[in-house]
Amino acid sequence: MIAPTLDIRDLRLTFSGLGGSVDVLHGISLSINREERVALVGESGSGKSVTARSVLGLLQSLRGTRISGDILFEGTNLESMDESRRRQLRGTRMSMIFQDPVSSLNPVYRIGVQFREVLARSNPGIDAAEARDRAAEILSEVSIGEPGRVLESFPFQLSGGMNQRVMIAMALVNEPALLVADEPGTALDVTVQDQTLRLMHRLVQEHRTSVLFISHNLGIVREFTDRLYVIYRGRIVEEGPTGSVFRAPGHPYTRALLAAVPRITRDEIPEFEADPGKFGAPKVVHGPAGNSA
Amino acid sequence: MRLERNMRSVCKLLAQRLAISLLVLAGVSVLVFAIARIIPGDPARIALGPNATAEQVQKLREQLHLDRPIWTQYGYFVRDLAEGDLGISLYTNRPVTTDIAQFLPATLELILVAGIFMIGFGLPLGIVSARYRGRAVDHIIRIVSLLGVSAPSFVWAVILMLLFAFFLPLFPIAGRISTDFEIDRATGFLLIDTLLVANYAAFGNALWHIVLPAFALALSGIGQAARLTRANMIETYGRPYIEMARSYGFPEWKIASRYAFRPSIIPSLTILGLDFAAMLGNAFLVEAIFAWPGLSRYGVTVILRKDLNAIVGTVLIISAAFLIANLIVDLLIAFLNPRIRYGQGSK
Repeated sequence: MIAPTLDIRDLRLTFSGLGGSVDVLHGISLSINREERVALVGESGSGKSVTARSVLGLLQSLRGTRISGDILFEGTNLESMDESRRRQLRGTRMSMIFQDPVSSLNPVYRIGVQFREVLARSNPGIDAAEARDRAAEILSEVSIGEPGRVLESFPFQLSGGMNQRVMIAMALVNEPALLVADEPGTALDVTVQDQTLRLMHRLVQEHRTSVLFISHNLGIVREFTDRLYVIYRGRIVEEGPTGSVFRAPGHPYTRALLAAVPRITRDEIPEFEADPGKFGAPKVVHGPAGNSA
Repeated sequence: MRLERNMRSVCKLLAQRLAISLLVLAGVSVLVFAIARIIPGDPARIALGPNATAEQVQKLREQLHLDRPIWTQYGYFVRDLAEGDLGISLYTNRPVTTDIAQFLPATLELILVAGIFMIGFGLPLGIVSARYRGRAVDHIIRIVSLLGVSAPSFVWAVILMLLFAFFLPLFPIAGRISTDFEIDRATGFLLIDTLLVANYAAFGNALWHIVLPAFALALSGIGQAARLTRANMIETYGRPYIEMARSYGFPEWKIASRYAFRPSIIPSLTILGLDFAAMLGNAFLVEAIFAWPGLSRYGVTVILRKDLNAIVGTVLIISAAFLIANLIVDLLIAFLNPRIRYGQGSK
């Protein structure tokens, strides 16, 4: 049997600081098979972005972070791997797309320079011309008409949508096995976001990339993912194929989440089946296990 | 095409700054010309000494046009300046331009070496401090840089001289070079002149002499540069593009030296430029302590002697150096910050 691309087992995470410690994840288990696109859905503060960053290993070096549990990537446990070997995987076998494309690209280097350095992650000896060709090639895959001009530009000279496409192209140029997309394009306006997500969707299908898609936008999740996990206060409360979860949500929180999506086909305001007070403001400090189930 | 546009905006920036610099210089010349003449004391009397007769003093006053109204005097000054003549110094009895040519290189050399120390020590210390924020090494750097900022350079000059030239004679106590060396004067910069005649022993000796005074002069700048760079680096470390660089697995040293450093250095540069120019003033006491035959010492002497031409000449040269330093910094910033190069380029 082929090992899944990503297999998170009982991931727990605690931030501790001067004011005491905060449990953020209370045992997350999640798996993504090859070429599968999986969503992690939840409200702000539920722990989705933290989960995404732990997969890449971006939080492990922070002081005051305590992580336990296993993160298996293509069958290898990342948590027991040493830091430099783990770093080797980033940007080559796994990559990430961030919320705000404009501020995620370095403001003082041209796109072409940044592209070349990303390419050098998997091919350290790559020369300028080769890098340029490869970058132009993938930029035209994300429907950028003048890749040459974009490569010569600084991020502030391009629109948000353009920067987003650049970021998607950059994340996929090294053919990673796993792409982590943390609320991609949330900082963009809705039509541009939709456009770029469609491009991303097409690209990951063509490149057979597995995707961990972090979002709070259920419309997007329904359109672009095969399976979804619902995260609530640091715990997975429901999982299943996207279609069936949307048809028959099992957990009251999922139902509340689905009911929160405005539908223009209905004429009445949706009613919550469960007590909406229970799903009020998100809490940073999550209660003890069992409280939210 | 890109390069062309790039060059055009840089040229425009350069022209703008040059025009402003010239205006500033003109203003400075009027101001210092007036001030030098308003402060009490008759320059002719001071120059000739108490034993000169009244006729002699009157004759010198006429020779210097001091009997004319001040705007006529300024007219003479501008006319001579256009011919590159700053007049005769009453103190050395030589043309002021000759004096400046003799003393300026020593000071410039001192300041340039101090500037290299400032950048070479200040920036890396700031980077290391930010990179290891909160660790022991950060605390040590912060204490050292605070010390550097807290005491003026002449205090450091005395301390360094006592520690490393007197108690622990690692460095010479004063002067620019040992008297055993005879170096032909080509540029006035000993570090260059010695290399021109390929006298490496003399070069080493001059270098050995400049370390302590330059370091004393640079210490506060080092502290300031380190503190500023640290603060800016820490701010930059919080930016999304640093997290993105980490997500691509770039090594931490590369993130520090490339992705975080360049956006952070831009505000530090402006301050470094000002520090650089301020050293011209601070150099005086350091030059006095280390018996360094530079322009700052000359400047103070001529002020005390009310040597009008020399005062105006020295101040003008120092202002020009100040403006040139700022011009270089502006160009560097334009080079480092594409937003400025492209004139706040919009989307």
